[in-house]
Amino acid sequence: MTNKYYEFFCPVKVIAGKAALEHMPYELAGLAAKRPMIITDKGVRAAGLLEPVIAACEESGLEIVTIYDDVPPDSSTSVVRDIAGVYRSEKCDSIIAIGGGSAIDTGKAVNILVSEGGDDIAKYSGAGILKHPLKPFFVVPTTAGTGSEVTAVAVITDEAKGVKLPFTSSFLLPNAAVIDPRMTLTLPPHITAATAMDALTHATEAFTCMAKNPLSDAYATAAVKKVSQSLLAVMDNPKDTDGRLELAQASTMAGIAFSNSMVGLVHSLGHATGAVCHLPHGLCMSLYLPYVLEFNLESIREPLGELLLYLEGPEVYATTPASRRAEASISAIRKLRDQLYKRCQLPRTLKETGKVEESQLDHIAEVALDDGSIMFNPREVSLEDARAVLRRAWS
Amino acid sequence: MLAKRIQPMIFHARRLYVELMFQVMGRALQAVSEVDSEVKEEAQVLPEGFLFEMMVMPNGPSMIVEHTGLGRFRYHGDNAPRPVDLSIQFKHIAHAFLVLSFQEKTSVAFANDRMLVDGDVSYAVRMTRVLNRLESFILPKLVAERAVKEYPQNLHLPEKLVSAARIYLKVATNFVETVRP
Ligand SMILES: [Fe+2]
Repeated sequence: MTNKYYEFFCPVKVIAGKAALEHMPYELAGLAAKRPMIITDKGVRAAGLLEPVIAACEESGLEIVTIYDDVPPDSSTSVVRDIAGVYRSEKCDSIIAIGGGSAIDTGKAVNILVSEGGDDIAKYSGAGILKHPLKPFFVVPTTAGTGSEVTAVAVITDEAKGVKLPFTSSFLLPNAAVIDPRMTLTLPPHITAATAMDALTHATEAFTCMAKNPLSDAYATAAVKKVSQSLLAVMDNPKDTDGRLELAQASTMAGIAFSNSMVGLVHSLGHATGAVCHLPHGLCMSLYLPYVLEFNLESIREPLGELLLYLEGPEVYATTPASRRAEASISAIRKLRDQLYKRCQLPRTLKETGKVEESQLDHIAEVALDDGSIMFNPREVSLEDARAVLRRAWS
Repeated sequence: MLAKRIQPMIFHARRLYVELMFQVMGRALQAVSEVDSEVKEEAQVLPEGFLFEMMVMPNGPSMIVEHTGLGRFRYHGDNAPRPVDLSIQFKHIAHAFLVLSFQEKTSVAFANDRMLVDGDVSYAVRMTRVLNRLESFILPKLVAERAVKEYPQNLHLPEKLVSAARIYLKVATNFVETVRP
């Protein structure tokens, strides 16, 4: 008998497609929510993305009680405390987070405070601390990449102590994720590219790392297919609503996949690079993905070869000998990166970013070795291994 | 406690085996940290007085070691002198048995949701690497390859220590074979 065992959990209602936003009043009413608060950032507001949400709610007689639009790119414990204060003084009863990873994580953390009480979010840091469901919580992603709308994790910086606090609980999962193509239509090209590569990395790592399982696999392969088929079309025609929806769905599906099967070394290196050099997460994913797949190659030959079907389609898959498919998958990802470089100069190497010094590589390697996701990488990674991958990704 | 009446021997034996293996691991951790530079290097980053625990939920067998500084570990049996800093918790004694009888790699057990981490994840990552290294020391190569992700190339440990640890292991294995129904 095999030792294989897995768990899979995703209770988030996905509300996706044309006029999805207009379903929110009905869904909120179903949870007895009458006084929602919007948590978002300045960029979302400036892009005019709040208007369709507010209009959709008000037309149904649901008043948005208050809007907090000052979430910083790296959300902190004091921001969370401030927002919880506003929520309480305005007597809100539910939260709508609109934005990318930071706004969504902030929404999750605020929901802990306003549901559990108190001002000190650090108290709830860790895994499994929460024991009760929280307030009604909706997420409207405005980037197609992080998948945070379906993950049970939030990370908030404690500025006083200078550490990142992780929060893990299935109660952090929103009641609903609202995927409306209008929300990603104005995403600038380089962010579209970087966040889509984050989604592709989530799916690829979910499919090749140690906790892969049949349910996650199904979401991961579907996500890979959607990104491969739609990303370049959207880059060439940013107003392609169907393509935008495909990418947004791919991001959610990849999020469901990796939140159940975890990620590996691409993310360990990416988190470390983000911490040391402040490079955007999606860009880091794009930088490291092919080099890490090369490093893992002999441990993941079979699943990686299978991905060729979703990366390149049935014809290429059928004409590539089984023994060459894993390498062909890596080439397909390299080809995609070259195309993105051509269209929006998305860097392919650390050197091309112009923001990383070669002398920082050793430090990045050390930080990466402490990252939780390295535990699920299919190959054991030593400090020397991490350095070698970084040197390959340098130029 | 219906199950206990049906299969008392299996349950009893499994629990004893897990307890014994925790003792083997605790002592071996202390021994290895005195001689192996790689384990020392990994452990050095841990704060002095850092308490690491492996235990079986809810109140099962446990093993506690302390980082006493300079990469050295001290085994504390199953008694923590103060609240532990990092705890790796098996959800059930059956899962602990799978890992401690080397049927399931530590990293696979993590991936399979067999255990939880309570504490700083970066320390857990570090301790997992230490445990992997430990397993490759005390196990014959063939078994170790099954227990860890990759068998290290550079194992240089005094033969005396290796054989001592393997004697422990032998005792434990013989033990489980004798009482195994
Ligand atoms: Fe990511």
